Amino acid sequence: MIERPSPKRTRQPPTSLWWTLRPWLGMLARRRRRLWLGTLLMALTLFSALGLLAVSGWFITATGLTGLLLAAGASASLDVYVPGGAIRLFAVTRTASRYLERLHNHDTVLRLLADLRTRLFARLATLDGRARGGHRASDWLNRLTADIDTLDSLYLRLLAPPAVALLAGAVLSSVVALFVPLAGGVLATILLAGWLWFTLGQARLGMADSRRHVDELEALRGRVMETLQGLAELDAYRALGHQQQTLERLEDRLYRSQRRLGRWVALGNALQAWLVSVATLATLWLTAGAFAAERISGAIMVMLPMAVMAMSEALGALPAAFTWLGATRGAAERLNEVDAPPAANTATTAAPHPESAGRLTLDAVGVHYPGAFQAALDDVSLALAPGERLAVEGASGSGKSTLTALLGRQLAPTRGQIRLDGIALDAWPDDALRRRVAVLTQQTELLDDSLAANLRLADPEADESRLWQALAQVSLADWAQLLPRGLATRVGEGGRQISGGQARRVALARLFLRDPALVVLDEPFAGVDRATAQALCTALDTWLGTRTLVYLVHEASGESTVVPPGITRTLTLTDAGATAASEATPLRQ
Amino acid sequence: MPALTARHLLNGLAATQRRRLQLAAACGVLAGSLTLVQAGLLAWITSALLVDRLPLARTTPFFAVWLAILPLRGILSYAQEVLAQQASLAVRRQLRRRLTEHLMRLGPVWLAGRHSASLSHQVVEQVEALDGYFARFYVQQILAVLLPLMILGVTLYLDWLAALFLLLAAPLIPLFMALVGMGAERLNQAQFAAVSRLSGHFIDRVRSLNTLQLFGQTRRATASVHDAADGYRQRSMRTLRLAFMSSAVLEFFASVSIAVVAIYVGFGLLGYIGYGPADELTLFSGLLILLLAPEFFQPLRSLAQHYHDRARALGAAEHLAELLNQTPPATRDAAATPAPAPASARSLIELDAASVSHDARGVVLGPISPCLYRGDTVVVTGASGSGKSTLLQLLAGFVAPDGQGERRCPADLRFAWMDQRPLLIHGTLADNLRLAAPGASDADLRQALDNAYLGELLARLPEGLDTSIGEQGAGLSGGQAQRLALARVFLSAAPLVLLDEPTASLDAHSENAIMAAFAQLQRTGHTLVIATHHPALIGLATRRWHIVQGQLEEVEHD
Repeated sequence: MIERPSPKRTRQPPTSLWWTLRPWLGMLARRRRRLWLGTLLMALTLFSALGLLAVSGWFITATGLTGLLLAAGASASLDVYVPGGAIRLFAVTRTASRYLERLHNHDTVLRLLADLRTRLFARLATLDGRARGGHRASDWLNRLTADIDTLDSLYLRLLAPPAVALLAGAVLSSVVALFVPLAGGVLATILLAGWLWFTLGQARLGMADSRRHVDELEALRGRVMETLQGLAELDAYRALGHQQQTLERLEDRLYRSQRRLGRWVALGNALQAWLVSVATLATLWLTAGAFAAERISGAIMVMLPMAVMAMSEALGALPAAFTWLGATRGAAERLNEVDAPPAANTATTAAPHPESAGRLTLDAVGVHYPGAFQAALDDVSLALAPGERLAVEGASGSGKSTLTALLGRQLAPTRGQIRLDGIALDAWPDDALRRRVAVLTQQTELLDDSLAANLRLADPEADESRLWQALAQVSLADWAQLLPRGLATRVGEGGRQISGGQARRVALARLFLRDPALVVLDEPFAGVDRATAQALCTALDTWLGTRTLVYLVHEASGESTVVPPGITRTLTLTDAGATAASEATPLRQ
Repeated sequence: MPALTARHLLNGLAATQRRRLQLAAACGVLAGSLTLVQAGLLAWITSALLVDRLPLARTTPFFAVWLAILPLRGILSYAQEVLAQQASLAVRRQLRRRLTEHLMRLGPVWLAGRHSASLSHQVVEQVEALDGYFARFYVQQILAVLLPLMILGVTLYLDWLAALFLLLAAPLIPLFMALVGMGAERLNQAQFAAVSRLSGHFIDRVRSLNTLQLFGQTRRATASVHDAADGYRQRSMRTLRLAFMSSAVLEFFASVSIAVVAIYVGFGLLGYIGYGPADELTLFSGLLILLLAPEFFQPLRSLAQHYHDRARALGAAEHLAELLNQTPPATRDAAATPAPAPASARSLIELDAASVSHDARGVVLGPISPCLYRGDTVVVTGASGSGKSTLLQLLAGFVAPDGQGERRCPADLRFAWMDQRPLLIHGTLADNLRLAAPGASDADLRQALDNAYLGELLARLPEGLDTSIGEQGAGLSGGQAQRLALARVFLSAAPLVLLDEPTASLDAHSENAIMAAFAQLQRTGHTLVIATHHPALIGLATRRWHIVQGQLEEVEHD
């Protein structure tokens, strides 16, 4: 058995095409009926085209020959109504089935895409911060939009058309064989060889380049984004020219692949036209031989090669689609990486959770990232009674952010155990835990949405007066009143439309909309001026009341640090978590 | 200058590649005429065998000619595709360069109000969206005129009534296509906006996943991702219903014309039609007309298939033109006159009645007229949101003063910059540092890291300066990222240093050390402007500017 790739491996060894596509074929199989109907419509369109040309050819030859007989004075008759009707019928079905087929199939594909996107986001949401942190944010964007869009070619370009072409080739060869067995055999051989080349052969030619293509696009997009986000510094350091060169280098790589792929596609298309012409020619030669031997009529002699001519409609799309097979494969590979079965870290067992508030214990907790050169956090123990307020101090890089992630259960400790109200943190049901614990992370995360929408992340049901109240608690109400659009003001990407200090306060206001037992604040006043910070502190103290507090700050007792009152103990994380935290000591007041 | 429209943009780009595109079209016409020759051969052979009763062996030379023509046609169609693709590559390369340069000129302040994911989507995907237009559609629209005319000419020679049948269907086609295409084009543009919004929506949620998890909102966010994706589907289907309609209309006319021609020729051959040229029809001319009828419509059908390429390109070009129509701030426009020199030799930058306003927020700073002298260490204080960052952007020239305001500085003034969101590029530690000084030696880099108190960190990294750093500083803590940006300040040779909250997330230990380093910068004659709340940094200052509601007061300082 081949194992499904595990999510841990970032670069997988090349797995076979079949195993890469298997999960997605399985997903397609769930829409089997829609897909069959789509394929059927596709076949109907093709047979109408074939029929139209073949019957017309037959009709004209038959009428031409009959006309000659009539002109020669012989008595001859020809039923013109059946073939005439058939011609008109094929003309209409070709148009109608083609329109319906395209509409139907695109709808199917887009339905599938919406499902896929949702499934992928849900999967991302269950990954912990560390698993996500390994990727560039722009990679994820690409996953959801481009990779999943690329997978649409799986059915529409890679499964249905070759199946229909194969079917059409088989039917056509059989029909030809009925009249001229040798011509049928030759035709089948030519068409099959062509079919194999346009699918397998072209796929092989384009595989490497098309598989890389998305990576190359992604590298370019990531670089552009980085350039735009860091423009101030790049510009100050006159590094824009250099950055532009880097962009052009990435673009060159992308376009080299595109150029090669374009040539393979052009070759495939030229070969396709050539092959169909050769097949037509061969069929005509053989049917002419059969006519000379008086085994078939003149009209049949013309009808068969005309039908063969229409085969280019069946084969025409194959070379381009299969040259780009690698793009679908690459997309599926990247998606498989994310889409592996979830690590079971969300507890679903309904553990009893007492109503008592915020008792927190850490027992010899340590975090060591795989491959990291040192532990991010080492051997931290502490016990907090409900309502107690603890400061945790440490320089940047000492593991404060890791501790925050641990307490918010966004990271599992590699050693030791964390308990909240006597229950192991990982045994808490997610909803209960989120109600119980509120965390302000060091990095302010705001959605590119309105002020109100950002606040309502904390409480979707909150009405406007609650939002204004929360803003008042962080001294932003006056400022927000002056905004022309008030709560509907958009904050920009990551809050860039408002100042860093304001963004921080919006993030803090979100906490005030919740009712947790344990509150974790990681540098809540970063970027906020001292006077404002002091005002915030007073509001914070009132709101905290009897809630348990873990307050992370780089220096708890520094003269410039604003610390909420009531902190009775302090825990110091020493540099880079290389050694244990010192014992908690009462804070000098 | 008149605003650039999508059509102008595309036409201008096509003009740069006219030779290649015309050559591609010439190959297409030649390949098309060979198709005509093939049809002629098929009809002639058939007629020779059936009407003239020639033995098969006598027709062998014609089979041979036919076989010989085929590779030639293959080469021509290969050349057509490859030439058009080269034109498309050249166009896209050139446009992308133009866009990135324009964005760079628009500057960090303009960008701060935009979604960088949407913009990079424009620079990458929307430029790629022009591919189909130049690689396929452009040549096809030439062929769609020339090839049918050629076939019409031959048909006219063979039988003018049959030509009339083709001609009757033909003018209706562009009319219908234009009507349907116009609608599809509008919808396509709306769809582009949707794709752009969709990618913004998504990356925004992914970046905020921490917060979403902490507030237990992931399920709600997943639902909103589904809604966004499903909205995209519905919008797409609306576009497609119309886009497919245009080709269906064409298919219908093509099919009906072929059917009518076939029946006309058939009845004509039977002698049922006594009118016009019908009684002159032979099996040869009848078959040839029948074979040419689908070829008459084929170029138009291909054009319709590529019609969405055009709609896609126009939609993308619309957005790109809009971007190119944005005017860079006067200070950053390459064509603009350079900033006037300061009135006094002592001063580095003089602002004169300068004010800055934002569309959504009104005047955020000014009018103010401060003077920055060489060797100053100015600390800018003020409540958060009072306009400190805007003042730094004004000094840096990222934003131009409104109206009559003026910013005077020496030509080619260089400066180092650091704000609250330091740039970390995807690359090694050394790559990140060399942004500030491409020619710096490893020893210089180490020295700068020491100055920024990252020396200890460096010593712990097994790969040293070659350690790679992810986007947004994955692997570095916030404080370390800040100090990395500071290390760049130390590396840069610029005489002016602009710092926006440089100590926002540093511990007291590094803070003290950094202040010592600032003192070092002061001693070496650098001019520093620091926006901060930090009392210790204020202590470093030789001058202090305090901003209250966009107005600047010089605070007496000892």
